Amino acid sequence: MLFRHECKKILRSAAFIVYCILSLLFFFTNYFSDCTGKEDVGRDGLVAVEDHDLIMEGALNSLMEDYNSNKYICYPYGYYKAVRLKGSKRDKIREYLKEITGTDEKGFEELLDKGEAYYEGYSAEAQYGYHDIPVKENFSYDRFREIMGDVDDMLGGGSVYRPDNLMYSFSLVPMSEEQIQAEQDGFYKEDRITRGLARLFCDYTGIILAILPVFVAAWLTAADKKRRMEELVYTRKTSSVKLVFTRYAALLCTMFVPVFAEMVVALLEALSVYKGESMDMLAFFKLPTVWLLPNLMFTTALGVLLTEIFSSAFAILTQTVVWFYSVMIGFGQLAGRIGRFTLVCRHNTPMERNVFLESRNNFIFSRIFWTVVSLLIMLLAAVVYNAERGGRFNGIRLFGKDSIFRRKA
Amino acid sequence: MASGCLARIVYSDVKHNFLPHYAAAVGVLAVSPLVFGLTELSGRLAAQPLEIIPLLTGIILFTPILAPEQNECILETVRAKKMSRHIVTGLRILCSAVLLAVLTGALGGYMRYNECSVTLKMCLGAFAGAFAIGALGFSAAAVTDNPVIGYMVSLMYFMMNLFMHRELGKFCLMSMTYGIKGCKPVAAATGAFLIAAAMIYRRIAKNER
Repeated sequence: MLFRHECKKILRSAAFIVYCILSLLFFFTNYFSDCTGKEDVGRDGLVAVEDHDLIMEGALNSLMEDYNSNKYICYPYGYYKAVRLKGSKRDKIREYLKEITGTDEKGFEELLDKGEAYYEGYSAEAQYGYHDIPVKENFSYDRFREIMGDVDDMLGGGSVYRPDNLMYSFSLVPMSEEQIQAEQDGFYKEDRITRGLARLFCDYTGIILAILPVFVAAWLTAADKKRRMEELVYTRKTSSVKLVFTRYAALLCTMFVPVFAEMVVALLEALSVYKGESMDMLAFFKLPTVWLLPNLMFTTALGVLLTEIFSSAFAILTQTVVWFYSVMIGFGQLAGRIGRFTLVCRHNTPMERNVFLESRNNFIFSRIFWTVVSLLIMLLAAVVYNAERGGRFNGIRLFGKDSIFRRKA
Repeated sequence: MASGCLARIVYSDVKHNFLPHYAAAVGVLAVSPLVFGLTELSGRLAAQPLEIIPLLTGIILFTPILAPEQNECILETVRAKKMSRHIVTGLRILCSAVLLAVLTGALGGYMRYNECSVTLKMCLGAFAGAFAIGALGFSAAAVTDNPVIGYMVSLMYFMMNLFMHRELGKFCLMSMTYGIKGCKPVAAATGAFLIAAAMIYRRIAKNER
């Protein structure tokens, strides 16, 4: 009864209607228009190989160039940042370069002089490119990765030297005919088309589900206060846990409706584009549910809790920061960007099945992790709600009791 | 006398309602060097932070303009006053626009000081885009009488600018970053139209005086 009532309330709200419109708009302009039936093999026909010699030589020459110009290009939050190092950090990079090349001070200076001058854009400042600086014989790859990790840390992250990124930055080679065939076989035979497409669908929808639900959650949580209904609700017999979790369930169910509709449209589109091919008819329902539900659960739960404690504006601001961090960090890598604590998993291609499978364990862990975190957040929200109901807590008022950040819509 | 009254309204509004929003807008500007590189940038690389940061400040400054009256107690007090709500709203819009211009100018100045190729024209373009997205948030909040929807629509439009700028055509607010010409006048005109339309809508449909 309560669940049905809450669902009705959400379905009739302007916030939910706008949520549906924006969700469908994002789906049609991204996934729907991308799924054309002309899936390429990814990375412009290049494949990353774990060739240690290639990686070490490429990274060393790149680091020599960056060290010489003292300009390291990084993308810590997906955006261009030129880092210049000073003092001890610059000296440390020099020491690392000497260690990798196996040279002493004099030898290293000679290596530095081998750079070929070139000019970038209209700049009058010469840059020096390095192409054939050799790595010290039998230099351990583990030590090399360790050094690169430290270099990336000194640069503030997001550089080409990030250990996880080394292979994709310095060891891309053209795909052979066999590899292209294997990639296509993976898509048509092993993934049976829809499993690959479902991953692309989840990639796009996951981005939107990490931000949009917070608006509906914040609106519903603040609605009682705005309509001065809180006293009426507080005096009901229903327990706080039941009330909070029923509302949460209602939010999840209603907000999953447009996602489900998109899954059906995506399946119909796949059936139309890949007519006559063998497909897994349930793929669009299985993987997206496991992939996307934790995103929806976490975003909604955080929205409910922060609106309950602070205000809807604070909840929206916080979730925007979380979203920006989750989506933008490691922006360059769009396939298999799945860590153990990644909220927005990225795999922006229906291909590269193996890359996704390599991150399978991380994927499963992250989905369970965010589901558990969401439930814990909701439990906390129920405790806060109960304290408010009993008059023991009245929210936290940022910037004074008269500020716009007090607890209201 | 009238100007003194208007000054008191602005002072009281800023102190009680908008100071956190203004602080948040300044905060976004202050943390931007952590996210973006703002030194020695040229061309499109310089345009990227110059367009993105004001877009966020535009959302923060314009969307909550009608939020104080969401509180029924404040709404009843405002209704009882002789002063038209449209004048108060107009003053709030003006304050937000001035602050947005100052912040955009400060960002442009900072970038130029750090040897980025930023021009006055680029700053005006960035302001036009930020004004347009702020006006979008304001109008969505005004029509639905719900600031949450204002944030929702404007933030989604921001995301669309990040991910699907090609589809937006002349309505792309990051046109300097993507090299699309003729978008900024459209943005400025759309912003002014949205604000005017929202105010007229509230006057006619909601009978707001």
